[in-house]
Formats: sequence, structure tokens, C-alpha cells
Amino acid sequence: MNRTVIILTIVECPRQVKIEVLEKNDTNLRLVIKEADVPFMNALRRIALAEVPSMAIDEVVMIENSSILQDEIIAHRLGLTPLKTDLNSYNLPEECECKSEFGCPLCRVTLTLDAEAKEGIRTVYSGELVSENPDIVPVSDKVPIIKLAKGQKLKLEAYARLGKGKDHAKWQPVSMCAYKYYPQIEVSTEDCGDCGAKCVNICPKKVLTVKENKVEVRELLACNLCMDCVEACPKEPKPIKVGWEKNAFIMNIESTGVLPPERVLQEATKILDKQLAEFEEQLKEETEK
Amino acid sequence: MIIPVRCFTCGKLIGDRWEEFARRVRTGENASDILDSLGIKRYCCRRMLLSNVEIIDEVLRFYEEAEKRKESRSFY
Ligand SMILES: [Zn+2]
Ligand SMILES: [Zn+2]
Repeated sequence: MNRTVIILTIVECPRQVKIEVLEKNDTNLRLVIKEADVPFMNALRRIALAEVPSMAIDEVVMIENSSILQDEIIAHRLGLTPLKTDLNSYNLPEECECKSEFGCPLCRVTLTLDAEAKEGIRTVYSGELVSENPDIVPVSDKVPIIKLAKGQKLKLEAYARLGKGKDHAKWQPVSMCAYKYYPQIEVSTEDCGDCGAKCVNICPKKVLTVKENKVEVRELLACNLCMDCVEACPKEPKPIKVGWEKNAFIMNIESTGVLPPERVLQEATKILDKQLAEFEEQLKEETEK
Repeated sequence: MIIPVRCFTCGKLIGDRWEEFARRVRTGENASDILDSLGIKRYCCRRMLLSNVEIIDEVLRFYEEAEKRKESRSFY
């Protein structure tokens, strides 16, 4: 009896995300992320924008306001002032154990402001807010809150708490979180005619350049895939090809200063994890009934 | 009225850059160069500073005058 043995070789698919840092400073982070897909990148982007908590003033008690701006406008300006956030020692009010609508020291920070213009016009800055916790202070000391004329007074007590961007934009930890495809540009110099570098001049990002009478890619990562260079080329078929790499992205995060940008992404992945775990638990519960 | 704290569109903090921007514009520097050096890249944030008029300064003048009048009245 003959037996044929078929050996199936299972090729392991290497799907591990590869991250490369292009630029990193206090507020900006630029990454190349490879072996990821659009749904995944978009989930991270949306969570960074709408679900990563940060600290902002939410309630203001006006004690005295004889300035020319109404209480609401001043409260709004205070709310929008970004505060440095400490996610490790503060809870979201809805998750805090105190269950109190007034909050407790674990979910609320009190800041006070007492300013008076004694002589002439004076500007009140965010740096004049006195916080009960020296770690939770405005990101910048130089944000003008209001201008007071001589004799006018502003005295208030403000309560800051953690919140999420989906409830109000003041809690958004990032002012920009965006991704784009990793560009791929091919220029076949043999077919390229002498058109006076139309493709080079039209590019708003100055991606292309002319070197020794040849069109070359100068800065690939700046390309935003607008295809203007392809359209500007008078030759047919086009010697310049613009496309994008599959499963590779450039992600750009700009923090408002409340959290370092890398921390925002870390928190976003944690939240995604938590949401998936909750989903799995619910699914198990409901299907095994 | 007064410079907004954040950019209306993207939410970047721009209020703290206003005074430097206004001072440097008054010295005759090119507004575009100032915005570049302040690190304000996107046009949504740039228009916040470019198009702002501090009306609060005009309004405060009335209060200053009223205060002066009150002082002179009590002086006589
Ligand atoms: Zn609490
Ligand atoms: Zn903006």
C-alpha cells in the first residue's frame, strides 16, 4: 500500500508592528508605523483625540468679578487653559470611589485666583492661578485671562477634574493627531522629457528636485499624495508614479502640553485594550446565558 | 474682544504667544516670520493671531476715563 505523505508548510506571517521615531520633542511626535492597518491606526487616532483623559477646569465659583467680561466668558477661558495632568494620582470623577458630585482630593483639584488692578490697566495671566497641587498648574504661565482697568477686581475659585475629549474639547490632550500613508514615488528618468521641471515646481511640499538634469525625490516623507506632479506632467504615459506603501503609515501627534505625546499614545492603547476586554466579557456573558 | 486661549479649529494653545506676536509686529517685523519662529505652523492657528483685534483695550479706555473723572470729582 502506497501512502503519500503531504507535508504542509505553514508560512508564519510576520505581522509585528514596527515603529520608527522620526521626530520627538516635548510636544511633537512623528512616527513611521509599519505592518499596521487603517482600522487599527484610526482606532488609536480617535481614542487619542476623544478618550484619553486630561485635566481641565470644569467649575468656577465667582467670588468677585467687577471686570468687563462676564463670569461665563472668564470661566470658559479658564476651562480652555491646558493644565499639566497627572494620570497616575487622579481618577476620573465617574470612576472615583467617592461617588460624590462635589469630588474628593483624588478626583478634583482646586485653583484660586485673586487679582486686582491697583494702578492702571493690568493683564491677569494664567500663571497667577494658585493650585493646591503644585503639579497641576497651567501648561503656560503667559495665557492672558483678562485685562482689568484700575479698581477692577477678579476673585474666584476653580475646580479642575479629569475629563475626556468627547465631552468637551478642553479635555482633548492633543491639538493634532493624524496619520497618512507612507508615500512611494518612482521617476523613470529615461522617459522623462524636457518640460522644464513642471512636476518639481507644482509640488506644494517641494518633494521633488532637479539634480544634473534629472528629476529626483528630495524629501519623500513630506509627500501628501496630492498627485499634482503626475497631473502636471505633459508626457503620456506618465514617467512619474506616485503611490503608497501598503500597511505603512506616518503618524503625527502634537500634544497641547498636558501630557507628553508618547504618553497619550500609550494611554490610547491601554484604553483600546480595556474596551476590548469589556466587550469580550459582555459577549461571553450574553451568549452563555 | 481678547485673544482666544486656543485655536478654534485644532485646539492648539495660542493665547500665550499673542503678546510677543503683537510686540514684534509693532516693531515692523514680518508677521509670517514671527509666526514661523513662534512654532505656529498650521493656517488655522496662524489666522487666530493674524486676525485678532484686542477690542478690550478700546473698551477699557472708557473705564479709565470714568475712574479719572471720579478721582477729580472727589479732589475738588
Ligand atoms: Zn473622588
Ligand atoms: Zn489651529
